Amino acid sequence: MLRLTGIVKRFPGVVALDRVDLEIRAGVVHALTGENGSGKSTLARIASGALGPDAGRIEVDGVERRIATPKEALDLGIVTISQELTLAPTLTVAENVFLGRLPRTRFRTVDWPRLLADTTEILDSLGVRVDPRRPVSELSVELQQEIEIARAVSSRSRLLILDEATSSLSEAATSRLLEVVEQERAKGVAVLMISHRMPELYRAASIASVLRDGHLVADVPLPQTPETELVRLMVGRELGDYYRKRAIDPGETVLEVRDLASLDGQLLPTSLSVRRGEIVGVAGLVGSGKAELGLALGGAIPSVGTAQVLGRDVDLSQPRTALAGGIGFVPDDRKRAALLPTRSVAENFSVAWTNQLTRAGIVDTRTERQRVREAIERYGVVTASASSRITTLSGGNQQKVVLGRVFARDLDVLVLSEPTRGIDVGAKSEIYRLMQEFAAQGAGIVIISSELPELLGIADRILVFFRGQVRGEFTTGGLEEEEVAHVAVSGTRLESAA
Amino acid sequence: MTNDHGGTVTPTDSATVPTEVVAEAPRAAKISPLRRLSLGRYTGVLVALLAVCVYLSLTQDVFLTWDNFMNIAKSNSVIFVLAIGATFVIISAGIDLSTVSAATASGMILGLTLQAGWSIVLVLLATVFFGLFLGLLNGMMITKLKISFLVVTLGTLSIYQSFALVVHDGQTISLFGKPGFNVLGNFVNHDIGPFPILLVFDLILLLVAGGVLRYTGFGRALFAVGSNPEAARLNGINVGKIILFTYGIAGLTAGIASVVQVGRLTSAAPQADPTLLLTVLAAVLIGGTAYTGGEGGVLGTLVGVLFLGVVQNGLTLSSVSSFWQGTVSGVILISAVGLGVLRDRGFTLRTRRMARSPSALAEPPSPIEPGAPS
Repeated sequence: MLRLTGIVKRFPGVVALDRVDLEIRAGVVHALTGENGSGKSTLARIASGALGPDAGRIEVDGVERRIATPKEALDLGIVTISQELTLAPTLTVAENVFLGRLPRTRFRTVDWPRLLADTTEILDSLGVRVDPRRPVSELSVELQQEIEIARAVSSRSRLLILDEATSSLSEAATSRLLEVVEQERAKGVAVLMISHRMPELYRAASIASVLRDGHLVADVPLPQTPETELVRLMVGRELGDYYRKRAIDPGETVLEVRDLASLDGQLLPTSLSVRRGEIVGVAGLVGSGKAELGLALGGAIPSVGTAQVLGRDVDLSQPRTALAGGIGFVPDDRKRAALLPTRSVAENFSVAWTNQLTRAGIVDTRTERQRVREAIERYGVVTASASSRITTLSGGNQQKVVLGRVFARDLDVLVLSEPTRGIDVGAKSEIYRLMQEFAAQGAGIVIISSELPELLGIADRILVFFRGQVRGEFTTGGLEEEEVAHVAVSGTRLESAA
Repeated sequence: MTNDHGGTVTPTDSATVPTEVVAEAPRAAKISPLRRLSLGRYTGVLVALLAVCVYLSLTQDVFLTWDNFMNIAKSNSVIFVLAIGATFVIISAGIDLSTVSAATASGMILGLTLQAGWSIVLVLLATVFFGLFLGLLNGMMITKLKISFLVVTLGTLSIYQSFALVVHDGQTISLFGKPGFNVLGNFVNHDIGPFPILLVFDLILLLVAGGVLRYTGFGRALFAVGSNPEAARLNGINVGKIILFTYGIAGLTAGIASVVQVGRLTSAAPQADPTLLLTVLAAVLIGGTAYTGGEGGVLGTLVGVLFLGVVQNGLTLSSVSSFWQGTVSGVILISAVGLGVLRDRGFTLRTRRMARSPSALAEPPSPIEPGAPS
């Protein structure tokens, strides 16, 4: 049905896909899997016309095509259900299901009775109970995802692409979706299913293509291939030794968290403790609740539960109260939540020190200049001057500023979310060194990361999140990446590892 | 200038040396003081202002006289005071559409209290605090009720104006000769040596406002909030409090501006010049404060006010119909902000070139960097 040959896609600084071949046949559920950042979603977006490849051939039914827009993909019968919702929130359920192809009367006006009847029929077949006249914005995220699915299956598709479509669905809804997928497959529709959740892949797919760092590693038959083999194919990287092993001598407990849960339901009640000098890694898939753990500890999202730093309760209702209690938080999205893009390097440092530098409302600019100069040197920030705009720096240097300003506050606990995302190898190695130095000075560090090799290299202990809870805890000495990855994708431990 | 380090860098494949950090060459070229000045937010406007001044002094005899300059200073004082407050609000990435209405309403309070025989000190306090109150009211609705600043200040634009009409049944309060008014009259008309008191007052206001922006915790936090409110919040800044204070400052300047206005008119009028608000906002934007927030300053605002004031003065002296003044101000606003956008774009292009990988820098240098001064 669809054949991709030699697909290459480059983004600034990275090759997202490097000569990838993929052939999807009618009547087959084809799984596409790999770690975060392996290029799965990029490939899906190329197949659905959302992105153009830099090189390579796309053939549909043996004819070479350029799929330049999502509209062209739709005309070819390629329908995508993605993890990101593409609904029009103010329109009704029925209008969304038939968006762009509403039934018309003889006078070219919308045929409302038929629209409602058709929508009801489709929703019934999916087992979704919702009034088709309700606006989509009133529905829960899960129901919205189901509307998205209803839209996809009601259009005459020949290739159905599920891009992490189950990430916000409950078990029951996932199960129903997989039934629909099976029905479509039986009708001769080709299905490309992108997921790294093992149970789904084994239940639905008959072949899996594994991507790693933009390369196609293997095509393996399912369910014959054992899960351990599949996970090994997904991760299978050599661990660099640029993490510099260090002797750990954890001291007293510095952070004690009890039953912390986010109000949005992404993080279920979780308890953990961190000792002085310890680096605790937090692993898990996107949507596993690991990001919310960081946000909740930083006071950035509403949460319930308690946190104590050195035995004193910390108020997590606001970032400023969390900071006052001794918890520093560095968010994962540098652009959106960390940088002051219109300000200088110096001000991007000192924004975190304003309270310390201010006497009777006046900023002590002499101390400020001195501290900025020290910080630029200490954290190895490469910049023309302290007064250069932060946006003139490379991503790695921007990140050193973002981390440095929190490090320099001398807090007892640091919570770092994806501290090395999108930066080069050299800057990464420096950031690991800084973290280790900081831990050696007696702080407790929690590092939340989607990169397992990083966690295995830097952390003393790893907690693995699955669906909002810690499902596994490992000490890193001699730990294999597969053991952690298994818990992250399935929520259970690998049997052989005991 | 971008080439002085080009030859010293050797191509390095950073992926092959993960254990040690590649010694990065100082990629960003040093910026000469002259160049830095040319990158200033309001330098272009300053140059244009000087050019207009030179042209006017050659063509209009009256232009280059002390009296004319002092006249420009005095007649733009109300705009300047309001523009100082507006600068704070625009740095916070907001806008206060109600500022002129708040000044009109405060002016009516001044008129009523003076007419009622209050002592001049109480009158001035009441007026300024009333302005502050109106500003804080805006701020409360924006921060506590989470209503968009556009909606809130558009609403209060209408409400405050209406209040000014209601309190005295739409009548102008003439204050000439009223006890206590001579203090106001002296404030706006008398000189200290060769300088009008009003000009000295404006300069003090400029220094205070500039100092607040640059040297106080509040000023720093204001820039941070305007640049990226989420980053500001995560770094422990109380964003709501900063926004509340900012609109409070805008209200305070509205109160002060009303004192100047009433003094100059010798009466409290319940309606203001409808183009005043646009002039105030245009002056701030022409002065290089970005409407997207997080950058700008009061010195630029001074240049913006002067530019519009001098141009208006020139049009009057050249006896161009006042009907054309709106067109001229509009063209100036769009060109000044448009040039700023172009400058920013050129700036990012340059830095992108500078930030290229070391190997790219080691390539044979391109013959001429477009736009780079030689």
